[in-house]
Amino acid sequence: MQLKTTPEDEAFRAAARQWLLANVPAARAPHEGRAASDFARAWLARCRQGGWAGIGWPKEFGGQGLPPQRILIWYEEYVRARAPSALDCTFVGLNHAGPTLIACGTDEQKAFHLPRILSGEALWCQGFSEPGSGSDLASLKTTGTVDGDHLVVNGQKIWSSYSDVADFQELLIRTEPGSKRHKGLSWVICDMRTPGITVRPIVNMAGVSHFAEVFYDDVRIPLSNVVGALNDGWRVAMTTLGFERKTAAMGLQFELSVKVEDLIALAGPQPGTALAERLADLRAEAAALRAMTYRMVLREPATQSDGSMMRLHFAELAQRIYRTAMDIIGPEALVDNDWSHDYLEAYSETIAGGTAEIQRNIIAERVLGLPRE
Amino acid sequence: MSFDLNRSEDQRQILDAAGALLATGFPVARLREGRPDDLAPLAEFGAFSLSVPEPEGGAGFTLVEEALLHALLGRHLVSPRALAATLAAAVARRAGMADLAAAFAGLERQACLAVASGGDILLLDPANAEMALLFEDRGLALVEIAHAQPEAGLGRSLAVARMPGDAGAVARSDDARVLATADLLVSAQLLGVAEATRDLAVAYAGLRQQFGKPIGAFQAIKHHCANMAIAAEMLSAQLDIAAIALADGRPDAEFQVAALRRLAPRTALANARACVQIHGGIGFSAEADAHHFVKQAHLLSRLGEARPILDLPAPMAPLRPAHERT
Repeated sequence: MQLKTTPEDEAFRAAARQWLLANVPAARAPHEGRAASDFARAWLARCRQGGWAGIGWPKEFGGQGLPPQRILIWYEEYVRARAPSALDCTFVGLNHAGPTLIACGTDEQKAFHLPRILSGEALWCQGFSEPGSGSDLASLKTTGTVDGDHLVVNGQKIWSSYSDVADFQELLIRTEPGSKRHKGLSWVICDMRTPGITVRPIVNMAGVSHFAEVFYDDVRIPLSNVVGALNDGWRVAMTTLGFERKTAAMGLQFELSVKVEDLIALAGPQPGTALAERLADLRAEAAALRAMTYRMVLREPATQSDGSMMRLHFAELAQRIYRTAMDIIGPEALVDNDWSHDYLEAYSETIAGGTAEIQRNIIAERVLGLPRE
Repeated sequence: MSFDLNRSEDQRQILDAAGALLATGFPVARLREGRPDDLAPLAEFGAFSLSVPEPEGGAGFTLVEEALLHALLGRHLVSPRALAATLAAAVARRAGMADLAAAFAGLERQACLAVASGGDILLLDPANAEMALLFEDRGLALVEIAHAQPEAGLGRSLAVARMPGDAGAVARSDDARVLATADLLVSAQLLGVAEATRDLAVAYAGLRQQFGKPIGAFQAIKHHCANMAIAAEMLSAQLDIAAIALADGRPDAEFQVAALRRLAPRTALANARACVQIHGGIGFSAEADAHHFVKQAHLLSRLGEARPILDLPAPMAPLRPAHERT
């Protein structure tokens, strides 16, 4: 159990820091729409030019194929240089769809989609949740009926982030008639320009829109777009949800350490006050989250369940950080600014990607072995 | 491997051996009998000089193994005299008193922990101790025990004695590394409490049946257990990082230990409380083991204080100013 870096690791850190400080955009990312997607694509293109795209991806698929300690170093430098949040329009492609295709796709699917994801040419969104299927994803009802060499898709998805600007969607549908729950599902690549698709943006409580409802009205998708086998989609989706807790999580988790430093700077010296105690707590908790992140990357086993504990700690710490920010900025909390905006956005942290309640159930049942309900 | 957080073979071996010794010689159930711990088997194991170099009579491990050992001691609610032996030896060693240090580590000289309270010194599980390892304001002192009066301890199960606070010190240390080591090992024992209470609660939740099923099947109980698991995991990860940083003398070592020491007491106390709660009526009784963990958590939490973390440089400080508003 050691954390000894080599001179080459330190040279890597110095190179990363130098490049990031020279290339990180001066302005914050726009919140929504075309401006947001243009910004995200431009940043990804710049990273690719610099040789920094696909940090966690294997070399054979166009990524950097970096060992774990270098990925950690990259993300530490990334957040300290205030690089754009990893949670942008390129997120699904780089951290969900891409890795799923790497794990389960055909050679043709990989050859077509992976380079386009890495270059930013193709943005992806996720079509999993439905109005009636949130926590209980397996109850989903959007159907795909086989018609010759196509699937005809009918139904509706919701909370599909960036589906208004995305080129492709990872779509989970029910393809076996009469099937129940997680049997009979298929994971398909949906071209968002296919006729019959309607995207209706939803405004969130921060007053911006970066997710939507998506309606499918006799949408024809080639069977060659099925990833994994037909009716084996749940297994493929579980691959996806497993990836959620790996590389991208690092950036988001390390970022909280920087946010805490910004809060401390924002508050100014407050010796002996209750606020100082809260800030000290947040500094300690962010340090511990960073420790958990190191452990996730550097220890076996790194399972989905280990990821649940860390994901939940991250979500609740993020919310505490932004609540503290709202207290510090006082009356300016009533105005739309970066802190008040991020505070409202953070409400989704304990809801999206598995609610806190579900995560606790998973931890209790799968990590601690308590009986299922 | 030089950059991984898996335990090495050497680490596994020493910790497995310590675990086996503790499981047979120091089962938590022994606390029902109320006898003071005989720490001789641990001294023979080398537990109190684990990170002392072999040429100086120690086992030659690092602070990392020592921290993990103290987590095991915490799990088994081993008498605070174990921590006293380790830290008294460290203070003596730092003061150049090598023979005294060896005597503490081998239990030829007996020490107990102590905290200042008003004008008094409270001795914690003094047993036959002649010297006290006193936690002062940002320092440790070795004090001769004199005029000590036994007193009923917390819940009538902790053993304490009170002596006047004006005793002279045989040795003192405000050395940053000694103090950080004390913080590390206190935190490690608190982690042990946090982990043991999580495990105790989970085991009980799987066994105790009400309404026709184990109580662990109910979400309220599940969520308590999940919270205990998250808190213990977080503290465990931070212990690894802090121990490595201190062992390697890294620039962020004080920061990491300060973070650990700040988080450890609340984690242990919250888990110990939840453990009582999950045990229901039995948890409230003196007969169950749960209450001992509550008391030990309080004892350990009183031993010194984390360095003010806001006064220390942060390893993840931003490298450029915040963005302009768009």
